[in-house]
Amino acid sequence: MSPAFRAGGAKIRNGIKQRTSLVAEEYRRLRLTKHRAVLSHIAEQETSTGRIRGPFQNVIPLKDNFVTTDLPTTCASYILQGFKGSDKSTVAQLLEDFGITVVAKTNMDEFGMGSHSLNSAFGEVQNGPGTHAQSAGGSSGGSAMAVADNMASIAIGSDTGGSVRLPAAYTGIFGFKPSYGRISRNGLVPYANSLDTVGIFARSLADVASLYKILNKHDPADPTCLTTDSRLRIELAALRRGLAPGETAGDNLHIRVVAAGDTSEQETDLTATEAEHIGLSKARYNQPRRMRIGVPDEYNIEEMHPLVRNAWTLYLSALAANGNQVVPISLPTTKQALAAYYVLAPAEASSNLAKYDGVRYGIPRSQQAPDNHNGPLYSHHRGEFFGDEVKRRILLGTFTLSAGAMDNYFIQAQKVRRLVQHDFNSVFRLAHPLMDASQNNPSGVDFIVVPTSPTPPPLISEVKRQSSLDSYVNDVFTVPASLAGLPAISVPVIPDDDMPHTPEKNVGMQIIGQYGDDRKLLQFVKANPEMQMNELMDGLRTWKKSRM
Amino acid sequence: MLLEPLPEQAPLRKQLKDAARASRGKHDDEVSERDRVRHERLAQWELTVGIEIHAQLNTSSKLFSRASAEYTDVPNAASWPFDLAVPGSQPLFQPAVLVPAIRAALALKCQIQRRSKFDRKHYFYHDQPAGYQITQYYEPLARDGHLVLTQQDGLGEKDGGKIEIGIKQVQLEQDTAKTQEQDEVTSLIDFNRSGHALIEIISLPHLHTPEAAAAYVRKVQSILYAVDAATTGMELGGLRADVNVSVRRLDDNTSNHSYSGVGGLGQRTEIKNLSSFKSVEDAVRAERDRQIDVLESGGTIEGETRGWSLSAPGVTRRLRGKEGEVDYRYMPDPDISPLYIHPEVVEHLREHLPPVPEQLLDMLCANYGFTVVDAQALLALDNGGRLLWYQDIVAHLKVRENDVRSRLGVQVGNWVLHELGALLTTTETQWHPGLIDSQQMADLVSLQAQNKLTGPSAKRLLRILFDGDKRSVAEIAEEENLLFMPMTDEEYDALADAVIEANSSEADVVRQNGKQAKGKLKFLLGQMMRQGDRNRIEAQRAERILQTKLSPVGA
Repeated sequence: MSPAFRAGGAKIRNGIKQRTSLVAEEYRRLRLTKHRAVLSHIAEQETSTGRIRGPFQNVIPLKDNFVTTDLPTTCASYILQGFKGSDKSTVAQLLEDFGITVVAKTNMDEFGMGSHSLNSAFGEVQNGPGTHAQSAGGSSGGSAMAVADNMASIAIGSDTGGSVRLPAAYTGIFGFKPSYGRISRNGLVPYANSLDTVGIFARSLADVASLYKILNKHDPADPTCLTTDSRLRIELAALRRGLAPGETAGDNLHIRVVAAGDTSEQETDLTATEAEHIGLSKARYNQPRRMRIGVPDEYNIEEMHPLVRNAWTLYLSALAANGNQVVPISLPTTKQALAAYYVLAPAEASSNLAKYDGVRYGIPRSQQAPDNHNGPLYSHHRGEFFGDEVKRRILLGTFTLSAGAMDNYFIQAQKVRRLVQHDFNSVFRLAHPLMDASQNNPSGVDFIVVPTSPTPPPLISEVKRQSSLDSYVNDVFTVPASLAGLPAISVPVIPDDDMPHTPEKNVGMQIIGQYGDDRKLLQFVKANPEMQMNELMDGLRTWKKSRM
Repeated sequence: MLLEPLPEQAPLRKQLKDAARASRGKHDDEVSERDRVRHERLAQWELTVGIEIHAQLNTSSKLFSRASAEYTDVPNAASWPFDLAVPGSQPLFQPAVLVPAIRAALALKCQIQRRSKFDRKHYFYHDQPAGYQITQYYEPLARDGHLVLTQQDGLGEKDGGKIEIGIKQVQLEQDTAKTQEQDEVTSLIDFNRSGHALIEIISLPHLHTPEAAAAYVRKVQSILYAVDAATTGMELGGLRADVNVSVRRLDDNTSNHSYSGVGGLGQRTEIKNLSSFKSVEDAVRAERDRQIDVLESGGTIEGETRGWSLSAPGVTRRLRGKEGEVDYRYMPDPDISPLYIHPEVVEHLREHLPPVPEQLLDMLCANYGFTVVDAQALLALDNGGRLLWYQDIVAHLKVRENDVRSRLGVQVGNWVLHELGALLTTTETQWHPGLIDSQQMADLVSLQAQNKLTGPSAKRLLRILFDGDKRSVAEIAEEENLLFMPMTDEEYDALADAVIEANSSEADVVRQNGKQAKGKLKFLLGQMMRQGDRNRIEAQRAERILQTKLSPVGA
């Protein structure tokens, strides 16, 4: 697949206006008819400065929790209905600077809280018609559907505990969550700040990489966005990959290190001394190397759907056939990770969502709201305009932060989060580049490969029969990488031409890398072929036979 | 912190009237018998007070946004998206706020923490746009300070000569927006103040009288002024205090409450948002008396938040009880990384820390010969501006020797405080640094010290400078004929002779009685002074020549 856009792009052509109109027209038609994936889109008469090369080239939909100045930003909540920001999000700005037009805002779970994009104030996202409708995954289901359904080649979502990876797996596309702090969150309405990341959807890996390159930049407006210094540290740490501790290489050369993501694209030449210091050989660095792949025992859960387990096995076999070494590893805190996530994320959410009081923006507070006379302030307004799942998580978070429960929940969950991080650091070959105590581990693994979700996408009707607790379990495989801030990508099992694609067979494989190792992660996925559906189905048939 | 709206403000005239009435009422109370009973009763109880002071830092930036913190009267003009808690906006720590904050903590003898962190304190109120205030609950900027109060600071007899008040911690936090009640259903909110940098100074419960409580707050304010950490005090709303008050019976050791590690105390209550030194004192006194009343009549004190207002300074009123207490749900702010302060930064600021009032007072008395009263007066004037001017003048005089400095120091002090002070009073003028150039003032003092100006001439010259004359002091003295041209011996001789001749009977009395005729001698001296050139004649020399001429025969 050729990239939908290229760095530098084509010159601005005549006829942009018409093309934009065409896109707008198309979106209007789609919004009315399909999936409820889109909440708002640009108007037909709006012109664009973009370099549009085809009806859906160089346009992008954003999840509706990225602030835009011409389209409203609602986070799929009534409480923000009508809100338009005065400053656009850094992501929107970077895209526009590059000539990519933000054409639409996509539907989502309200404030990112959900795994199926059903918790939207403005209608459920659906994959497929009527009673056969599948879950598009959540919370970035709208963006995923826009890409899966060819409304765009690329889209932006946000991933707090799996909100990009899960919809990508359910809709059969790529979903990439970079390391925490890689892409600016400025203008991304927070759900849980310490976990929120900007994620990328695309139908091709090349598009994922190109879009990542545009967005992976330091932003002074986001205090948690990696600084140029940290980015350089990460690059240097990655260069040590091929070396055992103490090992040095002879032919030290000037190596050009791109502090990836610096706004000025600053490049730093390593001096010979520095190269010596990190024991670096250019030849050694460039040499393709077999990767060691970790398979954590803890992910092989009983509830895993056979289709998924089979895909996992086949994918690992393919990797081994490509010359990679597949080894079992243990991440003992995996089980506790989900519980910790559902303490930490709602706690931060209860704090972040305290600002929605109807005083300054969004839907105004009604004069009748009985908030006066020593009653609890704003409860009427918040009660009326927040959805059920948002209320549930606010209550949960408010409880876990309360004086009596803090020590037993929030503090414990923070400890679990540390353990999860420690688990990962102890299995990766690469040291955590920003933790002084972390050390390279020569017998460690380069990447971890696990399914993105224990099951293929469920029917929406099925989801609706579940309790909210049941649906939290969907995040069990995606949450650990979120807690540790690691880069992770969901890779689709690609449907074959001769086998009509049906969404119920969508399976995603998740590849997780060490913190900061995003670029190598994408290179690794590129170097290893995407799995074809027929292999999977063949494998599944073999598997079924073996059980008969 | 600032959960409560400011106490209801009565119109100023009514406030003043009520305050006057209240203080009259207190005088009536001071009937000796009642006073004695009250005194005896108080003697059985110990009052314990801890104070939290919130002070606006002297900085031009807000704590977490790039908006200006300079005052503007255009509502909401100085509000950035983060100050309004606009979705998607993020906190950007402004390091400039650290300079006044660290100075304040150092002046309060605190240990600056190498690492501190920011937390969110949650509560809903119109003036708190995010639904939480960013403060430093778990790991504050500075800890373990202290401050000494003496009688000079206003301690009463009961407190003894000197007490040390422990300071538990100093933390950075955000100020709230300003609310103005428009009518019953409408509040206007100005977010300019939202996000201003404050420090909260938390004392240990080491205060035991209402006077000491007020003295403590006054002293903290003067220290913050002195090290330039704050410029707006209580009178301008830049400094507010919450007091925690408890009492225990002295002969009873069953009190078992413990606050900040100080144990054996009674149940405390908190009175929030006190905005004057007097209100701190009155509120503590009122709450102490209320608690004693309750306990003596067999009741118990509940942990609760109480209010106090200027319109009823003798009482506190219940705002909300423990069951209605807000759980602030402190949570580390996930957007803000910990603050690491390098010890070198602290050392640099410590080395360049301006002296606090005590040090200045000592310096003025020891090195410049000031009396304590004059030194205190000078320190108190114009927020320390007059002192700086004084020091400029002394510096211009380039005096090195200690005794000279001491002598001239007093003289300059006299000009700066008393002579100029009188002029300011009579003309109802406000002093400002540009009023009289310090170099001109130094020249004036110098001329006088060299006996080239008489006292009256020097005062005339001061008035000329005061009126804005920009000529040099030398030019003015010359052109206005103010320079002192001493009379020659011959002139004294002739003048004395003329006076003696005209008043021969008085002269004879002096001649005959010598020292016993002091009155007559003074009379003759007076005649000389009157007839001589007022700007040239010196009384001492005139008296000497009279004495010589009229010395008793044979003496």
